[in-house]
Amino acid sequence: MDVQNASSSSNNQCQDVTSLRFKEALAQLDQIVSSLESNTLELEESLREYKRGVELLTYLREKLDGAQQEVDMLMGKLDVRGDDTTTDTSLS
Amino acid sequence: MLLEHVSSPGETPQHLMVSEALGVAKARLESLTLCILGEVSEVNSKSGYKAVYFTIKDQGASLPCMMWNNRYAHSGMQLQVGMKVLVTGRFTLYAPKGRMNFDVFSLAPFGQGDLRLKIEQLSRKLQAEGLMDPAIKRRLPQLPECIGVVTSPRGDAIHDVLRTLRRRFPVAKVLVAGVPVEGAQAPQALISGLRVCESAGCDVVLLVRGGGSFEDLLPFSDEALARQIRALRVPVVTGIGHEPDTTIADLVADFRASTPTGAAQAVVPEKETLKATLEGMLVRMSSAQERILAVHEGRLGLLAQHPCMKDPMNLFAADALTLDMLGERLESAIPRTFQGLHASLDISSQRLVSLGKMMLESYGTDIALKASRLHDVSPLTVLARGYSMTRDSQGDLVRSVAQVQKGDQVTVFLSDGSFDCSVTRMQGPQGRL
Repeated sequence: MDVQNASSSSNNQCQDVTSLRFKEALAQLDQIVSSLESNTLELEESLREYKRGVELLTYLREKLDGAQQEVDMLMGKLDVRGDDTTTDTSLS
Repeated sequence: MLLEHVSSPGETPQHLMVSEALGVAKARLESLTLCILGEVSEVNSKSGYKAVYFTIKDQGASLPCMMWNNRYAHSGMQLQVGMKVLVTGRFTLYAPKGRMNFDVFSLAPFGQGDLRLKIEQLSRKLQAEGLMDPAIKRRLPQLPECIGVVTSPRGDAIHDVLRTLRRRFPVAKVLVAGVPVEGAQAPQALISGLRVCESAGCDVVLLVRGGGSFEDLLPFSDEALARQIRALRVPVVTGIGHEPDTTIADLVADFRASTPTGAAQAVVPEKETLKATLEGMLVRMSSAQERILAVHEGRLGLLAQHPCMKDPMNLFAADALTLDMLGERLESAIPRTFQGLHASLDISSQRLVSLGKMMLESYGTDIALKASRLHDVSPLTVLARGYSMTRDSQGDLVRSVAQVQKGDQVTVFLSDGSFDCSVTRMQGPQGRL
């Protein structure tokens, strides 16, 4: 997965996961998986990283399942029709 | 040639069977390819058919035509009664019915040749400028945070896009520029939509519309729109009409999908795929953590196997042995040294005891002597011989007659007790005072 462009330095890791954007959280998780796989961490550090990884994972899963898509009209007015089987009527 | 086989009168004529005759005719007819102009008067296209059947006519004649489905689809045309068309193909015969029809290879609307030619020319021009070069096409973002959609706010296309995005990746924000997509104003409106999406911070812009006729899709082949697509800083994905409609916008876009839904699918990951990736990351993370734990456990195991950890007493074994030996030596050394001292101490103590006894005995005799002498001089002993002792009311010993007066109360002490007296008279040694 190409997430290298997002910031993921270790000083971000104490940040509350819910304040992260999806991409950032995924990048951090990716970084944690890589560093754990590199097998160069001290035991305490690895446990801390693992805990953070699980937190990020839970957050990402919830975000995927629970997010309500935000739709804004920049131009024009959306024609909302009644038939939800073929059209989207749940737009605000 | 065949006529030469016709027999003279009286003879059984040379003949062909019907199939053979039609075969001869079919071969002759099919050797000729023609381009015919006509007006569509009848169309018969059903889903189960392998071909489209239609009739073209002019004022004096009509011609039944058939076109294989794949060729018809490739033409991109939707035949309608009244349409003037140019059909290219050959005459053929359907032998079972003895019917002739026209087998159409290609189909084009009549009168729009100029327009198609112009688009074709524009396409070649833009291609020559490098606007369609695969090398300049921008990469689509893997995880777009903001997706722009430029399309008509009415119709199925926008709803197809929104539904697809919502189902696959609800995390992204969607900004819609609802603009007219048909008519003379459409190209400029589409250009504005692209610019608005770009300045609103979209990571990628979808330029979509539902299927339509060649004329309907003309705004998407506008030169200015094509140049705007390439001038945009963010990638543009098209989903215009349905295959095989190809517009200039499709050719210059960074990615071309065949439908609006396809365009939406192209820009976002699939939710389930993403979740599977997350699960994969959890597995990788857990197994990596287990490996780290195993490494540390292994190190601990090795340390535990070390002799000093396995049998800690071994560490002190040599010292303990030395200590024991020293102890023994000490134990054996002490008695020898002190044995003599013990003996002389015993003797001294015995001498001390007997000396003490002797000293006490001499003191005892002396004390007994002094005690008996003390007894002799004791006032009690004097009293026992019949003398008495008198004390006044203050308890003071009365030593002289002068100490008392008549009427004083005194107490007289004897060896076995006392009695109280009242002074009635005082006398000197020679009688009365």
